[in-house]
Amino acid sequence: MKILSIGWINVRRALRDRTGLFFLVALPLMLVFIIGAAFGGAGSPVLGVVGDAGALRAESAMQVRDFSDEAALRTAVEHGEASAGLVRVAGQAPRLLVRPDRTGQQLRMLVTTVLTSEANRLAAGEFVASHTGLDAATALSVVDSVPVEPVEVRTTTAGEALFPEDFSGFDLGAASQLIVFTFLNSLTAAAALVETRSFGVTRRMLATPTPARVIIAGEALGRVAIALLQGLIVVVGSALLFGVRWGDPLGAAALLCAFALVSGGAGLLLGAVCRTQQQTAGAGILLGLGLAAFGGCMVPIEFFSPALRTVAFATPHGWANDGFAALTRRGGDILTVAPHLSVLLGFAAALFALGAWRLQRAVTA
Amino acid sequence: MTVLSCSGLRRRFGDVLAVDDVSFTITEGETYGLLGPNGAGKTTTISMITGVLSPDAGEVLVAGEPMSIHAIAAKRLVGYVPQELALYPDLTGRENLRFFASLYGAPKSRVDHVLDVVGLADRAGDLAREYSGGMKRRLNVAIGLLHEPRLLVLDEPTAGVDPQSRNQIMDNVRALAADGMAILYTTHYMEEAERLCDRVGVIDSGRLIAEGTRRELVERLGERDRISLLLDGDVTHAAAVLGSIRNVHGVAAHGQGLELVVDDARETLPQVLSAISADGVVVRSAEVTEPNLETVFLHLTGKALRE
Ligand SMILES: Nc1ncnc2c1ncn2[C@@H]1O[C@H](COP(=O)(O)OP(=O)(O)O)[C@@H](O)[C@H]1O
Ligand SMILES: [Mg+2]
Repeated sequence: MKILSIGWINVRRALRDRTGLFFLVALPLMLVFIIGAAFGGAGSPVLGVVGDAGALRAESAMQVRDFSDEAALRTAVEHGEASAGLVRVAGQAPRLLVRPDRTGQQLRMLVTTVLTSEANRLAAGEFVASHTGLDAATALSVVDSVPVEPVEVRTTTAGEALFPEDFSGFDLGAASQLIVFTFLNSLTAAAALVETRSFGVTRRMLATPTPARVIIAGEALGRVAIALLQGLIVVVGSALLFGVRWGDPLGAAALLCAFALVSGGAGLLLGAVCRTQQQTAGAGILLGLGLAAFGGCMVPIEFFSPALRTVAFATPHGWANDGFAALTRRGGDILTVAPHLSVLLGFAAALFALGAWRLQRAVTA
Repeated sequence: MTVLSCSGLRRRFGDVLAVDDVSFTITEGETYGLLGPNGAGKTTTISMITGVLSPDAGEVLVAGEPMSIHAIAAKRLVGYVPQELALYPDLTGRENLRFFASLYGAPKSRVDHVLDVVGLADRAGDLAREYSGGMKRRLNVAIGLLHEPRLLVLDEPTAGVDPQSRNQIMDNVRALAADGMAILYTTHYMEEAERLCDRVGVIDSGRLIAEGTRRELVERLGERDRISLLLDGDVTHAAAVLGSIRNVHGVAAHGQGLELVVDDARETLPQVLSAISADGVVVRSAEVTEPNLETVFLHLTGKALRE
């Protein structure tokens, strides 16, 4: 019971801190969004149109935005607000402005297809009208009444693909942000543990009929709870806001818990070793970002040299990262990530043992 | 009944012998003051009594229970108000109290009770960091009262507070002692020790150098209470009348003034006044001078309590 009280007071304080909340909720989700958008996952691409958009408007794979003149359209495409721009003036052939990226190319194909089928429909209507003597509108409705099933083309990528076909940019950013922030924020939040000691609150707890090991276990629980909360915010938030897929739920939950334990243990150790809050924040940011970089959370591990790859798997980040990749990109389940889980739990056990030992010394000195 | 007994307490920090062979006892309902300058060893002594610091030597018993870092039974009996504001500034007063109530195993109802006692009930929902210095001090005291301890240990509980909060805290201590709580109160304010404490231990450089009631300590130094009177009427006759009162040990007249050396000025003053007025002499002013603990401290250590 007392363990829960101490753990809960830690969570409560973390949630009360405005700046802390920004780092806990807003920043990781913002980064998931920004990185996702940068990798081209920002919803359906935008096509700017001057003139009549026609059948393009009904196309679900893109959004049509109307522009009054070509100059405005060109600016929007140049700034990336639209991935392509279509100018359709009566009596002239349609012209398309395209951004030199993948989305631009996709839109070019999409627009060409839609415009071609629109032209085909009109041509078929004229053909029907000239052969039957029906008026143009009736002829078009005859054309429309002919059922044309869309041809279904199944696509598969062959060879070693980095990401599966339906993998969005959001999916890419989210796992990294989860790992980076769960660990980083657990370290910086450990300043609260240093603070608690410097306020004399820890000594005061020791003066209550509460064994030292309960106090330490409670503080450790608080660290883990905050890390777990951070992880849940990224997982649930990114799934709800940006439709990020985390793969096998059981495997993802297990990885999340294991990594939260690692982060909580690291927080406990840092909070026990540091003497000032500034020290904790400084060391926390350095370790949090450093391990994240080496663990492949900044640059995908696939781009690492073999030597760096070995380094990556010396960090908990590398293991968590690979674990989530196994779930989201390679369709793995909890059994696939069992080795990752055991390594992470090993890290956690070592960090907790060290942290508890150091805190015990600091508390009962 | 003895609630606290410490014997032979000793604690060293590196080269500093912070506490050196300190022994004293406190009984039920008694307020014991530990008086000494900064660095005298008060906090170190208290840390050993409350079981947050292990002594190098010596023993602490709380109502017969031995105290140590691991002594759960003894800690149940002790309320601790540390010298620093040991509370969470980013939680409300009530949240702080609830948290410590859970650690003490005190019922929730005690939270509202102690809020009333220290006069913080109307600010209980505010963050502790928004409290005034005095309110923080009162919250600090309140936490120590949650589990109705047999022994309440207060380490300089009034450091840097406004007079109103100081009075509130001192009234609280008096009321708690009247209810039978044993109280250990450290301070370097001589006035507080005099107003509050039944007995005082004077501590300097880790050693308890004198102990007793204020009167005992003062008398050990040969200091006496004095009453100075300014009279209208026959001063010589009045001097003769007053000289015959039992507690009056010396009378000196200068002009319309009389200087009396007495046993206990507060007790003797009414007798003096009624004797004079019965004699038809009018008292224009009366002033009592009691030698204080400051004087005692100066005598014992050759230095002032506050530098
Ligand atoms: N944790 C500590 N480490 C080293 N020296 C200490 C420690 N605590 C107290 N001291 C030293 O012990 C002496 C007594 O300190 P303290 O008990 O705090 O005095 P007081 O409470 O009467 O002001 C001082 O010289 C102080 O510097
Ligand atoms: Mg002190």
